Amino acid sequence: MKRRKRMLEDLDQDMRDHIERETQDNLERGMSPEEARLAALRKFGNVTRLKEETREVWTLVWLEQLLQDARLGLRRLRKSPGFTVIAILTLALGIGASTSIFSVVNAVLLAHLPYRDPGRLAMIWGTNTGNGMESTPVSPGDYFEWKQKNTVFQDIAASRDDQVTLTGSGNPQLLVGYDFSANYFSILGVSPALGRTFSAEEDRPGGPKVAVLSDKLWRGTFLADPGILGKAITLDGEPYRVIGVMPRSFDYPPGEELWMPIALPDSAASDYQHHYVRVMGRLKPGVSVERAQTQMTALALQIDGEHPATDAGNGVNVTPLRRQLVGDIQTPLIVLLGAVGFVLLIACANVASLLLARATTRHKEIAACAALGASRGRLLRQFLTESLMLSLAGGALGIALALWCTSFLVSIFPNDIANLSIPRIAQIPLNMPVLFFALAATVLTGVLFGVAPAMQSARANAADVLKESGRGATSGSRSARLRGALVVGEIALSLVLLAGAGLLIESFERVAHGSLGFQPDHVLGVEVFLATNHYPESQPDKQRAFVRDVLQRMRTLPGVQSAGAVSTLPLTGFWGETDFLVEGRPLPKPGETPTADNRFVTPGYFSTMRVPLLGGRDFTDADRDDGRRVAIVDETLARRFFGGRSVGKRLNLGTPEKPEWWEVVGEAANVKAFGLERPDLPTLYRPYEQRPLVLVAFTLRTAGDPAALLKSAQQAVWDVDPDQPIFKALPMSILAAQSIALRRVSTLLLAGFATLALLLAAIGIYGVMAYAVARRTHEIGTRMALGAQPNDVLRLVLGQGARLTIFGVVIGVVAAQALTRFMTSILFGVSASDPLTFAGVAILLTVIALAACYIPARRAMRIDPMVALRYE
Amino acid sequence: MSTKEQRERIELLQGTLDLLILRTLMPGPAHGHAIARAIEINSEDVLQVEQGSLYPALHRLIKRGWISVEEGTSENNRRAKFYRLTAKGRKQLALETSKWDKLAGAIARILRPAEQESES
Repeated sequence: MKRRKRMLEDLDQDMRDHIERETQDNLERGMSPEEARLAALRKFGNVTRLKEETREVWTLVWLEQLLQDARLGLRRLRKSPGFTVIAILTLALGIGASTSIFSVVNAVLLAHLPYRDPGRLAMIWGTNTGNGMESTPVSPGDYFEWKQKNTVFQDIAASRDDQVTLTGSGNPQLLVGYDFSANYFSILGVSPALGRTFSAEEDRPGGPKVAVLSDKLWRGTFLADPGILGKAITLDGEPYRVIGVMPRSFDYPPGEELWMPIALPDSAASDYQHHYVRVMGRLKPGVSVERAQTQMTALALQIDGEHPATDAGNGVNVTPLRRQLVGDIQTPLIVLLGAVGFVLLIACANVASLLLARATTRHKEIAACAALGASRGRLLRQFLTESLMLSLAGGALGIALALWCTSFLVSIFPNDIANLSIPRIAQIPLNMPVLFFALAATVLTGVLFGVAPAMQSARANAADVLKESGRGATSGSRSARLRGALVVGEIALSLVLLAGAGLLIESFERVAHGSLGFQPDHVLGVEVFLATNHYPESQPDKQRAFVRDVLQRMRTLPGVQSAGAVSTLPLTGFWGETDFLVEGRPLPKPGETPTADNRFVTPGYFSTMRVPLLGGRDFTDADRDDGRRVAIVDETLARRFFGGRSVGKRLNLGTPEKPEWWEVVGEAANVKAFGLERPDLPTLYRPYEQRPLVLVAFTLRTAGDPAALLKSAQQAVWDVDPDQPIFKALPMSILAAQSIALRRVSTLLLAGFATLALLLAAIGIYGVMAYAVARRTHEIGTRMALGAQPNDVLRLVLGQGARLTIFGVVIGVVAAQALTRFMTSILFGVSASDPLTFAGVAILLTVIALAACYIPARRAMRIDPMVALRYE
Repeated sequence: MSTKEQRERIELLQGTLDLLILRTLMPGPAHGHAIARAIEINSEDVLQVEQGSLYPALHRLIKRGWISVEEGTSENNRRAKFYRLTAKGRKQLALETSKWDKLAGAIARILRPAEQESES
């Protein structure tokens, strides 16, 4: 270091001496003194550059220059705090928004799946063209045939929903479990944290009763008892031996608490009738989902041919596990990610345009640098350092913003949802991938908005600029064009966002204003699964008595106006189906047997839920087991199968050979049991008394807040049976809100981003126009001195702004038409190219952009020619 | 500036300047301007160095330890920096010279194979 300093100290002197000697030589050669000096200088070369080069010999130049550039950049940024603050805030908004949405994408769509090679796992669902169902469980007959005949899966496994009541370990608990075939765990590629999973011997009818616990159940109910293995727990009154505990990371299917062997009986292999098996498979290495789908479809077709009575119209739907787990949230998230990308681009365009404006005023400074020997690369580096400093500051602030945003996002994303197929978003960590994303976005934006102005400036030819007059009427015409292009781009991007947001808002309006068919407010729902050991199917009277007794107690609770019960509540995701035949109609072709949503209700259910009766009568206490079999159909079923006149007609719910007749006594309004966005399914209601079930949900209409009755309603259940767990008790309004929560969130966010984009674009066009007016003060002053009226000036400026705006809007409309197509699946009741929405956002954007132009235009109108002409 | 003049002079190859400086310092120490002049004169003005570029090259050689620098007085009694070849520099010069000869010979053989044969 010392040597370097000493070496460089005398460099100036050395070079001066050298030039002097050369001058002397030249004089001796007979040149004039003037000539001699110039020739010597010419021969020596650019002193500054050579000094720099010499210094480079001794130093880590890039580091020194970087520090220099950073210092210089900092000084420049500090000199124009207004610009700096606006640029950093703009970038922080862009980067913050992108990072927070990416963190959700990272937590949900890119989440690590704790299974071996999860890309090869897929669910194999049934479909049916007859009733339009997709992704349904299949019959065990289908399952066994698939298992035997397919060649695309390494192995497939069966599972089934199960609910059991745990007693003898604290309060009775209803556990949501899954019955797995023995190979299910090995297909997933998971091992238990404690003990083992089932063996093939345990997975057969009459095998030993064993269970594997979830980590949550083990810790919560069994207090992480290390000696749990081998102990017996009581499920539905029977002892089950605990053989394993799964690790905390294992949550499949999401929310399950215990797993038991499915133990399909041998007779199941010939059962093509009952659809209850959920199939999961592991693809063979190298087999694509598409190929698997093709083979499974062919296989299904073959089975359809062999078992037309039961399987006609059945198909297969192979769904990769990740898509299965991600469910309905994928499209909205990708749309949102695209949207924040656009916001970030707009922010970049804004900052680039600010930098360009600054670069134009700095032309002389840059030219001077170039004349003094700064190379173009060096200047480029200087500018990029400055823009990277801006983007780093913006990025840091953006990450801070994202930290705050993600906790906000966690709170607005629908959580603990019974009726939506989306994963729980309990936390959105800002982890390494997210930080890496933020850093990449930061550097990329820095380069993106920095490069154009830097190139622009570095390109400046020193001689030209120095010659140019200070007014610079012509200078930067190229940079003005570039800024114009940036504004056009910003407006186009904003229009795309506005169009997307507009379409989503339109969809949301339609969904939210649709009627559920019942009034969810002031209704409390209490869901119960009757424990099969206490209420066996063989003793339906016990179930009837339980429901009757509980309802009686609930009706007398203070604050309860009415009460009723239903087998499965709307919007909970639970439902049942039944095939039916209409009296007097020809027998349907195989596979075309109509099905109906199948619910069992008590008298008082319709009035409690306020489901209007359109004709006939409600069920009464007289509709008992010993009475006539009666049914109520909904409007859809009545319209589709009875031409709207259903009362008095009969339905056969048995088979053609062994009919089981039910008489329609009433017609109820449609209920959107699967959410507002789903099409109506024909629905059949029958009296609970005539067909009791272990699934029961009580509904109470309350005078006040239904949540206030939670405790007393539950107590009413326990007064009848203290061992009966309650699955869930919650106000129906919560379920109603949850059913549109995801749509609400995505609409809200997209609208927010579109507003942000609109704001940024308005600032952008304002900045460009204000700058243009400032640059043209002299010209405008001249025009006014020559007789131009203020209105002419207004027209001049607004015209320029309008040109840019209209250009941007036109490009935006074309781009939006192309892009909104990808949103079709999340739109509702509005087409992706809805002309009204497009016209609306185009007008909105034009008006706002012109308003932003109006401010500088008015300033231009007020220019005093005298002042302007003196202005330099 | 005429193009003719430019054509008569040859741009120095990268790194050649270092070799020329070392060679120029062989007989004894010299100051910067003298080195530049010597290169020009010895090459009969064919090699015209941008004189300033001498300085980065000199510093590069000092850093590598091939030459050393000392204060002294020039012919007309002025203080100046004199550059002197070090032992390491001498070795380097020998190495570089033989390398250069090989290279020049090889290139010459490629460019004029017939003449080379007839001459040798």
